[in-house]
Amino acid sequence: MVLRSIASRLAAWVLAGTLLVVVAGGFLLFRVIREQILQQTHRESAVLAGDVSHRIQHRLDKVADTAQTLAALIGPRPDDAETLISDALRHNADLAGLAAAYVPVSMDAASPGRSPFVSRQGDGRLVTRDLLKDPAPYWTQAWFRTGLGCSVGCWQQPFFSQSRQRQLVNYSAAILAGGRAVGVLNADVTLEWLQGVLQNLNKPKGTEAFVIDRQGVYLATDGPVLAGRRAQDELVAALRGDTDEPIRHTGILAAHAGAPVWIYHAPIDGTHWQFGLVVPEEQIYAGVRRTFSVALSVGALALLSLTLLTLVVTRRVLSPLGVLTERAEQVAKGALDFALPTVRRRDEVGRLTHAFDRMRHELADHLAELGRVAREQQRLASELEIAQQIQTALLPGAHFLDARCHNFELHAVLKPARTVGGDLYSYFMLHDQRFYIMVGDVSDKGIPAALFMARAITLAKALAPRAQSPQQLLQLLNQDLCRNNDGCMFVSLLCGLLDTATGHFSMASAGHEPPVLWGDGAPRLLDIETGPALGLDEEATYSSRRVRLRPGETLLMYTDGITEATDASLSMYGQERMLACLARYAAQAEGDPAGYLLADVEAFAAGHGQADDITVLALRWHHAGADGSASMLDLTMPASIEAVFDALRHCDEQLASAGVAQGVRDDVRLVLEELMVNMAEHGRPPDGDARIELRMALAADAVLVDLHHDGQAFNPLLSPVPQLTGDVADREIDGGLGIHLVRAMASDFSYAHDEQGNHLQLRFILPS
Amino acid sequence: MSFSLDTAALSPERSTLRLHGRLDALTFGDFDGGAAPVLEQMGQGGTVVLDLSALDYISSAGLRSIAKIRKAMRAREGHTLLVNPQPQVRKVFEIVKAVPVSDVFSSVAELDEYLDRIQKRVLGGEDDDV
Repeated sequence: MVLRSIASRLAAWVLAGTLLVVVAGGFLLFRVIREQILQQTHRESAVLAGDVSHRIQHRLDKVADTAQTLAALIGPRPDDAETLISDALRHNADLAGLAAAYVPVSMDAASPGRSPFVSRQGDGRLVTRDLLKDPAPYWTQAWFRTGLGCSVGCWQQPFFSQSRQRQLVNYSAAILAGGRAVGVLNADVTLEWLQGVLQNLNKPKGTEAFVIDRQGVYLATDGPVLAGRRAQDELVAALRGDTDEPIRHTGILAAHAGAPVWIYHAPIDGTHWQFGLVVPEEQIYAGVRRTFSVALSVGALALLSLTLLTLVVTRRVLSPLGVLTERAEQVAKGALDFALPTVRRRDEVGRLTHAFDRMRHELADHLAELGRVAREQQRLASELEIAQQIQTALLPGAHFLDARCHNFELHAVLKPARTVGGDLYSYFMLHDQRFYIMVGDVSDKGIPAALFMARAITLAKALAPRAQSPQQLLQLLNQDLCRNNDGCMFVSLLCGLLDTATGHFSMASAGHEPPVLWGDGAPRLLDIETGPALGLDEEATYSSRRVRLRPGETLLMYTDGITEATDASLSMYGQERMLACLARYAAQAEGDPAGYLLADVEAFAAGHGQADDITVLALRWHHAGADGSASMLDLTMPASIEAVFDALRHCDEQLASAGVAQGVRDDVRLVLEELMVNMAEHGRPPDGDARIELRMALAADAVLVDLHHDGQAFNPLLSPVPQLTGDVADREIDGGLGIHLVRAMASDFSYAHDEQGNHLQLRFILPS
Repeated sequence: MSFSLDTAALSPERSTLRLHGRLDALTFGDFDGGAAPVLEQMGQGGTVVLDLSALDYISSAGLRSIAKIRKAMRAREGHTLLVNPQPQVRKVFEIVKAVPVSDVFSSVAELDEYLDRIQKRVLGGEDDDV
């Protein structure tokens, strides 16, 4: 949490950035300063080396001067040699020994005391020795022979004196007599002395000094004992080079083994020796290192302080952001009522706080609005649900079995695409055992369609008893639906009327799909002439078609939700598939053909979903026959008086044998006589003879008569009521009385006319 | 034959026709034919009595025949009276209001009494209105 905060990150980045700059800058500065320091050290050390070498030279010069002076003094007076040497030695503490020796060929040389050698012992005593008495002749010694050649004096190779057990180096000066070297004066100094000289030099602390001869052999060092040892070849080679050039070397001295050192060297004049000043590189840089480490520590402290300061300031500046973050999390949880940090400055944070406050209020308003909308939607949804229940209640049950005679069975299924839909089906029995069936499809979907559907279905039921035939019902419905139909909604409707006694089925279509009929054969579409959909044209008329259902036949009505169902590849179910499906059903399946078809369509459209309402209604005609409303009479006769009266007689006999009361029989006879005589006398068509069909059935509470005449149209219901004066003699003779009697006698009376002719349906209630 | 007509007692003043069976579109011709000679011999102001006690059934065709007789008698300033119509006939008459109630009698006795009253009034000074 702490590390994730902006303040921490800012502080960390500031720290990292400045650290990088400081380190890089420091490193660069360090390099430059180090270089300068190195150059300075080079200069100073070179001067120092030169100075020291001069001082050594000075000491050595004193030795050389003594030797040369003695050589000059002794040359002419060899007998005083011992005295002179002893005195000189006594007075010059630098010297370890003095010797004078002559070439043995001269006479003088052979004399005793002429070749003295005085040396200083370790305890400071002077000891004199005659070189002539040495077992090995001195003139054969290397020092002597070399010394003879040194007319101006020269320093010889260091050597180890067996007698004195010391490392020595000697200065030889030739003793000249008559311009010829006759002897050698030899001055010894110990290497310890040289070392002492080096040790007493006033040189910087930590440095070391050495003297090395031309062969690269150390003569003296002020540190570890290296005297007599030979230096490394590369060092020797470097020493022979330019004296102004400092030498960087590694591993010269034990104390600095492995560490690099700088060597400043200078020749010691008068000798072939070189003086070397050894300065460890570490020491050169030590100062600048220390300075830098101090600077770094101070810098680090400063950086740390800066970081802390940044942290504190940033945290302080950003602290409202933390509060805002917490509040935002509260907002996410739905809480909007909280305190915001006080705005101290009009900076970004202040503006953010203001914006947050505004956002909170607007969010609250928005949430309230959203809640209102949600409640509204919930209300709408529940209303829609109720609407669906109401719409479902408008539809009769999905299965209808003619309970009275088992003559037919009906299956219906309606599946809206949305909650409510525009498809409809309806069926209902009229009082005279005629059964209305209809299937319709309102344009559009959803609530408008559902309302129009409700209007259509209610009107249909209300108008059905008045309408004598499906086409008349369609006409009446159409006129009613056209009224105030500004939305131009329309409904296609297939309407059928079943005579439940005979299986006669007349139907009319208002722009609807043709029904399917099958029995023993393959299912086929019934060709039916259709008028315009209901609700569009007030003047529209409809024609009807009549079929007689045979036992076992099924008539299926449906909406375009079946044929226009689409699968995932957007191909339609279509009539072909429907007929094939129904053929499969007809071949094997039992039960509900509507459900069977719907299942097939749903399987077909499974990938795409239902786009339109689907309605299927299947009517199966069993023609069970034997029941309470059994047909008593089914006659077809020519429209003649004789035939009519024959039929009337049959009728009366049937009714009598069925035990129908005399009064009812008389009523039936009178009505039928009036109607049929009328048909026979006035209804003859212009071309040929007409026929009359008479069917009579006895129901539990009524006698049902179905009268059909294919002659001229005549609607008895529309003939005017005659003027009844109270005396038949007052009237002109006409047929009005007969129709008046018919209307008075029949309990129910309906008339329809279609291309088949006049259809009359009558009902006579039996007295209970 | 579902219809028969009995014209036993005939006189120009009063003739009685007894109708039997059904008077309908098939039989009204018989009735018309049987009634024609009776009407011919009827005198001015005479009375035709239709005895309907044996008539089971009447339809509009029969009503037309009865209307013709009533019209013919009215032309002679006579009367057509109906006696004892059976339920079906009475129902039909009521529906079409075929004849005034005063012209229908429930029995021959009632008719005779009525006719006697008329006769007395005619004979005894005509101080009674009909």
